[in-house]
Amino acid sequence: MKKIVVCVKQVPEVTDVQVDPTTGTLLREGVQSILNPFCEYALDHAARIKQADADIEVIAICMGPPQAEDALRRCLELGADRAILLTDRKFAGADTWATAYTLAEVIRQLIPDFTLILAGKQAIDGDTAQVGPEIAEILGLPQITYGTNVNLTADGRRVQVKREAEHGIEVLDAALPALVTITKGETQRRAPSLDAVIDAHRKNIEIITAGDLSLDEEKLGLKGSYTQVVKVFPPPTKKDSRVLKDLEPAEAAREIFSFLKENHFLENNRSGAK
Amino acid sequence: MHTIISQPASRADFKTVKRIDGYEAIKTDYPIYLTDESKLVSTDANHLFIPRDEAELVAVIQAMSAQSIPITIAGSRTGLVGGSVPACGAIVSLERFDRVESLFFDEDHQEWVLRAGAYVSLKSLEAMLKSKRFPDLEKTEDASVRRSYERFKADADTYLYPPDPTEMSASLGGSVVTNASGARTFRFGATRNWVRGLRVVLANGEFIDIPRGKYFASEEGTFEIVNTAGERRTLTIPDYRLPETKCAAGFFTAPGMDLIDLFIGSEGVLGIVTQVDVALIKSEPKISIVQFLEDDYQAVRLTASLRSDQRIKLDFLEFYSGNALNLLRRVQAEAPSTVNMPPIPDEARSALFFELNYDSQSNNDHLVLLQEIIRQHGADPALSWAAHEPRELERFKVFRHLLPETVNSIIAERKKSIPKLHKLGTDLAVPDDHLMDIWTHYQENCDALNLEWVAFGHIGNNHIHVNILPRSIEELNQGLELYQLFAQKAVEWGGAVSAEHGIGKIKQNFLALMFTPEQISQMQHVKAVFDPDYLLNPGDLFPCEVCA
Repeated sequence: MKKIVVCVKQVPEVTDVQVDPTTGTLLREGVQSILNPFCEYALDHAARIKQADADIEVIAICMGPPQAEDALRRCLELGADRAILLTDRKFAGADTWATAYTLAEVIRQLIPDFTLILAGKQAIDGDTAQVGPEIAEILGLPQITYGTNVNLTADGRRVQVKREAEHGIEVLDAALPALVTITKGETQRRAPSLDAVIDAHRKNIEIITAGDLSLDEEKLGLKGSYTQVVKVFPPPTKKDSRVLKDLEPAEAAREIFSFLKENHFLENNRSGAK
Repeated sequence: MHTIISQPASRADFKTVKRIDGYEAIKTDYPIYLTDESKLVSTDANHLFIPRDEAELVAVIQAMSAQSIPITIAGSRTGLVGGSVPACGAIVSLERFDRVESLFFDEDHQEWVLRAGAYVSLKSLEAMLKSKRFPDLEKTEDASVRRSYERFKADADTYLYPPDPTEMSASLGGSVVTNASGARTFRFGATRNWVRGLRVVLANGEFIDIPRGKYFASEEGTFEIVNTAGERRTLTIPDYRLPETKCAAGFFTAPGMDLIDLFIGSEGVLGIVTQVDVALIKSEPKISIVQFLEDDYQAVRLTASLRSDQRIKLDFLEFYSGNALNLLRRVQAEAPSTVNMPPIPDEARSALFFELNYDSQSNNDHLVLLQEIIRQHGADPALSWAAHEPRELERFKVFRHLLPETVNSIIAERKKSIPKLHKLGTDLAVPDDHLMDIWTHYQENCDALNLEWVAFGHIGNNHIHVNILPRSIEELNQGLELYQLFAQKAVEWGGAVSAEHGIGKIKQNFLALMFTPEQISQMQHVKAVFDPDYLLNPGDLFPCEVCA
């Protein structure tokens, strides 16, 4: 049986996240967690490939706190056959390298016969886009990033990937096993059925702790991280902005028009309009 | 207590109130105040006032009253029956009544209550509750308001305000005077159920504070209204019996009723609601499900089973007819990103849309039960969409609202070549045991005339919006006749001619279907007690008595 491993992450729903300007910490009241959208696209591709080939098992792996089970549950709803949660205080504080090391080791030790690894191109909270490529480096795999479509060749020996590049679309292929990171492309997010939601609740999520694997503890979590987040802060507001207050709409519009005109913002538009 | 004494309000200098005079000036610079979502447009409004507070509002009322100039109150102008479109006289926009005043815990009823100005929008309220951040309360200098707010923030739970009209840009005050409802009315009832207090400025320039549970009608069905000069007026509540369905037609009345309920749903013709207290409930994780079905009749039958099963608590139960799904398929084919959902399955000929509690940590036995009920009706729970992540719930909500928006854009396009065309959307509700009857009636009559139509909405409350999309004036007239026929049937079956949109200026002919002249006259008596000169919202609910 061919095995597609999908590395996923649970992230805060970032459209709602605000940073406290004084403390620099995230304001998390009312902010809920979701499966990282790019990870979901990766899972969608795995599920689609599986639909065409019943001899494929899709395994979702996530490193995170116990509540990251919810993200894995969504993976099961969307078509994963197995879900594995890596959760341990020793994993806490991991940067991208320590995360990649842990995920790579789990894959190497628990699913050594994997065919393909898929990962979201990046998580929407950290936006580093490093973990996928780092896993490939650690495992010595060929990697293709920014994939928008993924297919296994008929002989099952290679993966063919459409990828977004600056100048257009590239189509690449690589020998299996390989790792592909996925971006949105033309993927239309699916919706699981009621049956799938109920079935997902009946499936077991496998919990793996640091003690279940043979790991170099010096390479885990904060201890194994080369980088640390020192401070988080919102981008400074532009000091030279001006807010028009207490003006009649027509007066405010005139002010804005004068400003645009005086600063020559309207000239290009006008010539463009012709 | 049956007697309420109105209080004198402080009064500002009328000259300082922001105002625009002259119809042409309003039409040129402030045209949005001349219309609302009904698309009715005023042709006779001579003043626009935007008071900053209650004192300025009172100054406007007294100045206009002295000149016998009627005033029409405008909130967010999201109503569908022209309630805030001035028939004549002056427009008073409450847009500066936009502060959240306080959040307090009502120990007697063990619930959080929010007090806010009439113009606070439901959308901003939802966002503030979700984040537990209320900018107005962050800045408060009132120590007790601050303490209470801190207590609210420290509460481990998050809260929501249950009413969810489709148009969330609606103002809180507007939603109260129209007794707005929405999908969640199925479980939580309409706005009325959540209002705990009102502050109302009356046509005489005085105000009354009405907490729920203080002023009740006497055994004779009366209230005494006393002004500061000691003048008494006796108000006799109407003696008609309202249908046991959702109803937004006519004043609320019931033996021993609470005075606050008279103002809720009164369409603003009795007084100006400036401040509202509403109760909040704990927010719980939800799962939304779109269940695709074989045909519309299967949807009606499944509805009956779902609402009669006491083990399942649905927050809402909504409907998409087969022809509505076809319309959405067309949109999906032309602009997939607008729909932002997977392709609607080819087999789907109808759909129900419902939401219920979801616990990611439990077995969710109620979902299994739901699955069984769906199967018992011959439907396939695998042919469904489900969502429980917040962003997915939001995506589903957008999808749920897409159909009315699509209908509106089709009509707007057709109006370009036939300007007199407009949408015909029914707003009728019937009792549970007539759901199949009214659905059959709708379908047979619309199809017999070969009209283009879709149906959607609150099937759980037997409140389906049939939208006829006329392609010609002839079809428009056929549709208008059908609407009248549908309304007559709804009344015959014990239903309401307006379940949520109200009567306003454009559905007064339906009021006469549901109420006798004597009953309408009883309503007018109530109006006359609070507004003897008919200066508030002329032309709403009753024909205009004062406009030329």
